[in-house]
Amino acid sequence: MRQLLSRVGLIPAILLIAPHCADAHIVASRLGDFYAGALHPLTDLQDDVLWTALGLLAGSLGAAHGRWLVLVIPAGLLLGLSVGLSFGSTWIGPLANPGMMVLLGVLLALGLRINVVALCAVALVLALMRGIVNAEGVGAATDKVLFGAGLALCGYAVITLITALTLTFRKPDAQPSRTWRDIAIRACGSWIAAIGLMVGGFALAS
Amino acid sequence: MSLKQNVPMTARHMAATRRRFGLPYSAVLFTCFTLTDTAFAHEQQGVPGGLVSGFLHPLTGLDHLAAMVAVGLWGAQLGAPAIWILPITFPLVMAVGGVLGVLGIALPMPEVVIALSALVLGGAVAARLRLPFAIAAVVVGIFAIFHGHAHGTELPQSANPLAYGVGFVVATGLLHLCGITLGTLSRLPAGGRLIQGLGASIAALGCYFLVHSLTGSP
Repeated sequence: MRQLLSRVGLIPAILLIAPHCADAHIVASRLGDFYAGALHPLTDLQDDVLWTALGLLAGSLGAAHGRWLVLVIPAGLLLGLSVGLSFGSTWIGPLANPGMMVLLGVLLALGLRINVVALCAVALVLALMRGIVNAEGVGAATDKVLFGAGLALCGYAVITLITALTLTFRKPDAQPSRTWRDIAIRACGSWIAAIGLMVGGFALAS
Repeated sequence: MSLKQNVPMTARHMAATRRRFGLPYSAVLFTCFTLTDTAFAHEQQGVPGGLVSGFLHPLTGLDHLAAMVAVGLWGAQLGAPAIWILPITFPLVMAVGGVLGVLGIALPMPEVVIALSALVLGGAVAARLRLPFAIAAVVVGIFAIFHGHAHGTELPQSANPLAYGVGFVVATGLLHLCGITLGTLSRLPAGGRLIQGLGASIAALGCYFLVHSLTGSP
């Protein structure tokens, strides 16, 4: 009996060692282009770094500043996407993204309290830039409306989440102004600016 | 040498499995083939490759690692404002050195100065040297440029320059954090001595690297 159990149990046990994901909803069908739009920026490190930097900046400035980005970012991304689809994205210089990283990073590192209009202007320029670049992901057969909806929703979700996390992390009402939490956020800004400087240097060199 | 030792491991295991469970070879082979996965000829390409190489560059170079931890330790010993200005300004100054490296602008004797950084910073921690903040900042800033230069020269060869930059800046920041966290041990009764001991070890390591870089021995 024991031998039989061993025989029967061996193969399922080996199969269970290597489980694989079960894909219940294949993204290539139905709303595939929506997912493509939502995932395209998340798979690009430039978007990841820049959106994180903007979310950190908005969160460090407070909720009153940050809530404007809920509107500005999706609108800017959609506008940028339509510009990118019309005029292409090759005219965006190689220094644009590193320059934006340095700007956002320095603003964070210095702890400068810029006003809402300046924050919205920076966010709009960033969203336009990234919308134009993400237009490269739109192919001939891609549904542009679904792709744009995915992109805008992804931008909204990422920026809102990072802003909210930063606000929660800072605990501005419970702590004095200069705490280790503020320093940690400013250090992140310094890291982002450093990355931007390095990549900008590389863009100049190549 | 026995016959059993000459048989490859996989074959021995298959034979043992067959004997124990009474399964034919074909069943074991079939099960093994069902578990096959994709083989990647070049695993460290693109973003993952850049991230890994950038992250490991400061960690695998013992001279970089020792100096970065010493910076954190010294900052913790100096206290405010060094302890909070340091992690904010150091990456930026280091990135300036990195840009010089990327652009191919040579610095004089980079290996010697990097070794010297471990010696000087470790010595400062061991001696509990309390310099005025401005002078300490200039000393650390000069060393930061040389460390950044060394990282920057590696950047053009990396699979993805942005990922390399993210990896190396994050690793450097975490090393500072490690040093600062270790530096908080100075609040404990024996902690101060422990940190001074760590500083002396880093200085000794710096001394070794200095001799190594001056003599050019392998």
